[in-house]
Amino acid sequence: MLKVRVIPILTFNGFALVKTKNFLNPRMVGNPVQAARVYNSRGVDELIFLDIFATKQNRKINLKVVGDVIKECYMPVGIGGGVKSIEDVNDLLRIGADKVVVKNAVFQNPNFIKQATNYFGSQCISVSVDAIRIDGQYKILNDLNKDINLESFISIIQDLGVGEIILNAVDRDGMMNGFQIDLINQTSKFTKLPIVCVGGGGDLSHYQELFDKTDCEAVGSSSIFHFTQYTPLDIKNTIKNVGKPVRL
Amino acid sequence: MSVVIIDYGMGNLASIKKALDILRIPNSISSQKNVISQAKAIILPGVGSFSKGMENLKNSELDKLLTEEVVRNKKPFLGICLGMQLISTFGTEPIETEGLGWIEGSVKKIIDSEKRIPHLGWNNIHSTNNFFNDFNEKDFYFIHSYHFELENETEIAAMVNYGGNYVAAIQKDNIFATQFHPEKSQEYGLKFLSKFFKENA
Repeated sequence: MLKVRVIPILTFNGFALVKTKNFLNPRMVGNPVQAARVYNSRGVDELIFLDIFATKQNRKINLKVVGDVIKECYMPVGIGGGVKSIEDVNDLLRIGADKVVVKNAVFQNPNFIKQATNYFGSQCISVSVDAIRIDGQYKILNDLNKDINLESFISIIQDLGVGEIILNAVDRDGMMNGFQIDLINQTSKFTKLPIVCVGGGGDLSHYQELFDKTDCEAVGSSSIFHFTQYTPLDIKNTIKNVGKPVRL
Repeated sequence: MSVVIIDYGMGNLASIKKALDILRIPNSISSQKNVISQAKAIILPGVGSFSKGMENLKNSELDKLLTEEVVRNKKPFLGICLGMQLISTFGTEPIETEGLGWIEGSVKKIIDSEKRIPHLGWNNIHSTNNFFNDFNEKDFYFIHSYHFELENETEIAAMVNYGGNYVAAIQKDNIFATQFHPEKSQEYGLKFLSKFFKENA
């Protein structure tokens, strides 16, 4: 039986790990290599590392830092931030990334995404879907000021052949006040791609609610690991108690 | 004499090298004929599409060299993920393409209206073969949208259930292959690699 994945998400500003609230006000929370080492020793199911400023600052992700993070990991790693070309994907795969996470390139250069999924396979390309609720509707937050709703965006990325959705609830990012259940259930109806549900986990009861009220099969978290004493194992035990399979 | 990890332009070679390094198994990444001929065992890793993988093997004439070393000279072989699928008769990703043809069968897309595809994450395998009994019901990391349907069921070494039952590992004589990624499967992944090299190389 496939196990629910518990995935720490490390967000990086080019120098240090940071944690945002509602995708704003990045606060420094430590060193990426040390964090990766700790998560590896705790047997997490996967790790995601994102340079959340690469596109905004129009720079490439730092391959040295990424390489050092990956060296610590004996589990799969997804890497994202400023990925724009086949060469960028190749650079990350060569140093040991298993999945490459894209977002803005979906708007800027959809042909590249199509090429990448054809060449490297769907399973290699994940998309960060950053959903924000505006006037009762979910829209996709992006750096290009494109107005697009959740369902249209998912339909576009499915056509491009991507293999996974990393679903970020922008309204819940860093707030530690519970997952956006309604967003997760809507998204789950729109697609049969695997979804990593992210945003809002701050207490074990939030994970209980997530697995009680949705068909979530993977959960991504940052704040709970940075700012509380809870570990990935505590979350897995909570998920197990809800009756979902986990790898302990 | 060391183990050679075949470099044919299909992605993630660093993680398999890292796993062998930690196990202190001498290894190198190469596409050179003399390195491959002299190696005591061959690993064919790979992520990506079947047709691109075969195209790259053919363009570098690695297809002939690998067949000679593995099928004729019986050199220990481990195929991982795409490296398992490429030893089939043919694949279908994205179009029908002839494979290396060492194991009879074809590689097809997983069709399941209930399940999310790719089959992505940690799943326990069911051993059907002595070598894999140590790993029966252990979790390994899978990430694939295509699966290998074998003609000869005795060559199946382990299965995995995800809605339907799919081939998780293959063994025929000196040929071993896994759909899962041992190099990404933490403790039991390393144990699997360690056992493979201890017994075969």
